[in-house]
Amino acid sequence: MSAARPTMSTDPAAPGLRFSRATVGYGETPIVSGVSLEVGRGELVGLIGPNGAGKSTLLKTITGGARLLAGSLQIAGIAHDALDAPARARIVGVVPQSPPAIFSFTAREFVAMGRHAHLGRLTHESPADGAIIERVMDLTDTTRLAPEAVNTLSGGDLQRLTLAQALAQEPQVLLLDEPTSHLDLNHRLQVLDLVRDLAEDGLAVLGVFHDLDLAARYSDRLAIVASGEIRVCGTPPEVLTPQHLREVFAVRAVVGTDPVTGTVSITPVVREQSAVTPYRETVFVLCGSGSGATLMRRLVLDGYRVTACALSRGDVDRSVAEALGVEFVELPPFGLLSGEQTREVERLAHQARLRVVCDVPFGSGNLANLEVVERAAGPTLLLGEFDADRDFADGAATKVWERLAGQADSVSAPSDADVLGMIRGMLESDERP
Amino acid sequence: MSAPTRSRPSVVYGVLIAALLLAMLAGIGFGAVAVPPGEIIASMGRGLSGSMSGTRDALVVDVRLPRVILAALVGACLSGAGVLYQALFRNALADPYILGVSSGAGLGTMIVFVLTAEATALRYVGVPAGAFVGAALTILLVTRLAATHGRLDTASLLLSGVAISYTLAALTSFIMLFARESMATLVFWMMGGLSGSSWPYIWAVTPMFLLGGILPMLDRRSLNLMLLGDDRAEQLGVDIERLKRRVLASGSLLVAAAVAVSGLIGFVGLMVPHMVRLVLGPDHRMLLPASVLGGATVMVLADLVARTILAPVEIPVGIVTALTGGPFFVWLLVRGGDRT
Repeated sequence: MSAARPTMSTDPAAPGLRFSRATVGYGETPIVSGVSLEVGRGELVGLIGPNGAGKSTLLKTITGGARLLAGSLQIAGIAHDALDAPARARIVGVVPQSPPAIFSFTAREFVAMGRHAHLGRLTHESPADGAIIERVMDLTDTTRLAPEAVNTLSGGDLQRLTLAQALAQEPQVLLLDEPTSHLDLNHRLQVLDLVRDLAEDGLAVLGVFHDLDLAARYSDRLAIVASGEIRVCGTPPEVLTPQHLREVFAVRAVVGTDPVTGTVSITPVVREQSAVTPYRETVFVLCGSGSGATLMRRLVLDGYRVTACALSRGDVDRSVAEALGVEFVELPPFGLLSGEQTREVERLAHQARLRVVCDVPFGSGNLANLEVVERAAGPTLLLGEFDADRDFADGAATKVWERLAGQADSVSAPSDADVLGMIRGMLESDERP
Repeated sequence: MSAPTRSRPSVVYGVLIAALLLAMLAGIGFGAVAVPPGEIIASMGRGLSGSMSGTRDALVVDVRLPRVILAALVGACLSGAGVLYQALFRNALADPYILGVSSGAGLGTMIVFVLTAEATALRYVGVPAGAFVGAALTILLVTRLAATHGRLDTASLLLSGVAISYTLAALTSFIMLFARESMATLVFWMMGGLSGSSWPYIWAVTPMFLLGGILPMLDRRSLNLMLLGDDRAEQLGVDIERLKRRVLASGSLLVAAAVAVSGLIGFVGLMVPHMVRLVLGPDHRMLLPASVLGGATVMVLADLVARTILAPVEIPVGIVTALTGGPFFVWLLVRGGDRT
């Protein structure tokens, strides 16, 4: 038998993976249907979606662990059922979620197992194989582990060794199932940077991610797998919208841009289930620049209906209010409230049982909000000291504040007080018929 | 465990072969009549050239030589089967005796033995064949039990093994009732012994050993990958279902060979691979041949003990291996050595 195993001729022009109207599942039971997805060479595509949606099933269809029930799947241009296990292993490498290590192979022996599909029954590891093993161990920063027994290593070391094992296959397609779940922050970035580099060099990578920020940061495209189909597929900003996150993950989130990496960053605010508890009372929050984000979230979680004042685009409080489903009035950036907008704020402030004024500075843009609160009847909670530093309206804000503080049913408190407890107390003592 | 250091294959095999040859010399030399090593070699030379003379030559060539060779073959088979089953179940406690496979082979042997009462010449082929069928059906049953729970944990593995062994042993005893006239021989055989050794036994066992012990060497790397789990092995390019069938067939062949000629000898397939693994690591490229050689040596020595410790009374070698292997097994179980 010759040393070189015949490699089934892959098509270098074909994409690494091509699902066409594929239905995949176990036995006769479909899990994900109508999948049309391509992973090109040099591309990293991330699969995201809730647990049990079928992300791993898609990966397993590629490796033979799950079945293709309809449609087609091509791997580097070859129909997937034309590949037996050894032929597939020469094209597709896999990094599973939690690799087992119950036997005391050395790390090097463990990585060398990745060469299996390239070796014949009677052939031994050649110097060329040894060079590949050394290279992938160097890439994954595992060279120093070479003589250690794998059953004594940490989960993170083992995960990087498993990546090395998969790379030793010299694959054209790399499948990652939660590749960084056991890794610390440093190694997580290191591994994903490496995978990113390999993709740049022409590897087709399909990965399942739970960490949406990492998925957004490293993927060229993302696909959301949910309710038995691929719901959306596109660039991270196209896919990771508050609306999709709410529909798919039942989480209300603030989607922003990471100031450092420039990629999409997601801050989950509340779970949908928490947000739909029956409303107790309505509380109006006058906030801005993030002064009300925490309070609004706590109030929503506590079951209050929350409304807010006019907030401008780009304000953190506005994004949080949007994610929480808090009703508020749109304020143009750097603009002033129009008459109609003022009436809207007025309506919200009047309808509420209680108004909370957060520790926010006042200028000409949002002074109208404070005046609306002054005109509204009923209890008001004023947070924080009011001094000249908070007044950017040439003393006008101070006057309104003083009048408000003088009202009989107003309460002032420092902004770090037990605001939620105070709100509860104020609403109880203000029982109206 | 400290960082394993791997030994050079040539050194390992040199040491193991030397140990086996020394054990065989001892096995031939010691006994009711002691034969010094020089005499052994001289007698064997006369045996080969067909010019044997005297009772000492006959003792060496017709009695003790086939006995040590058979002991070596049986030990090699049991130890090799242990290695294969341990890879299959990913559990270092899997052993033909503990899994009940030996009992299955025993039942097959017994059925053929009773059926061929009128045609004893058929036994040289029929008994090993019956043992193979019994072993294969039993291991299929055990793997089926394993498949219902994914990886068979140690507790279920041992429990199913105990249940299967007891059931099969009861059936074997029941069938033994139909062969009352040879009951004493059969009971002795079931305890595990090599007292009936002769050259025809060796001719029957050798091809089974060669097939079952050498062919798996072609799968040496696949066996390593199998330890990572079925899914991972497949991802790395192992056709796992075919490999399993080959391992099951080879293992059954080895157990059948051992049981057909020597009855139920326990724990060799457990102890020897475990000790080899401690020294050489879990890589089947070394583990399988080293365990085969080590098993042969251990069995030759165990048989020597069985023949001489209460001389002139000879005890079944199965008792010797059980008396050392049983406590060893308990020790492994207590310290959780099923995952080395």
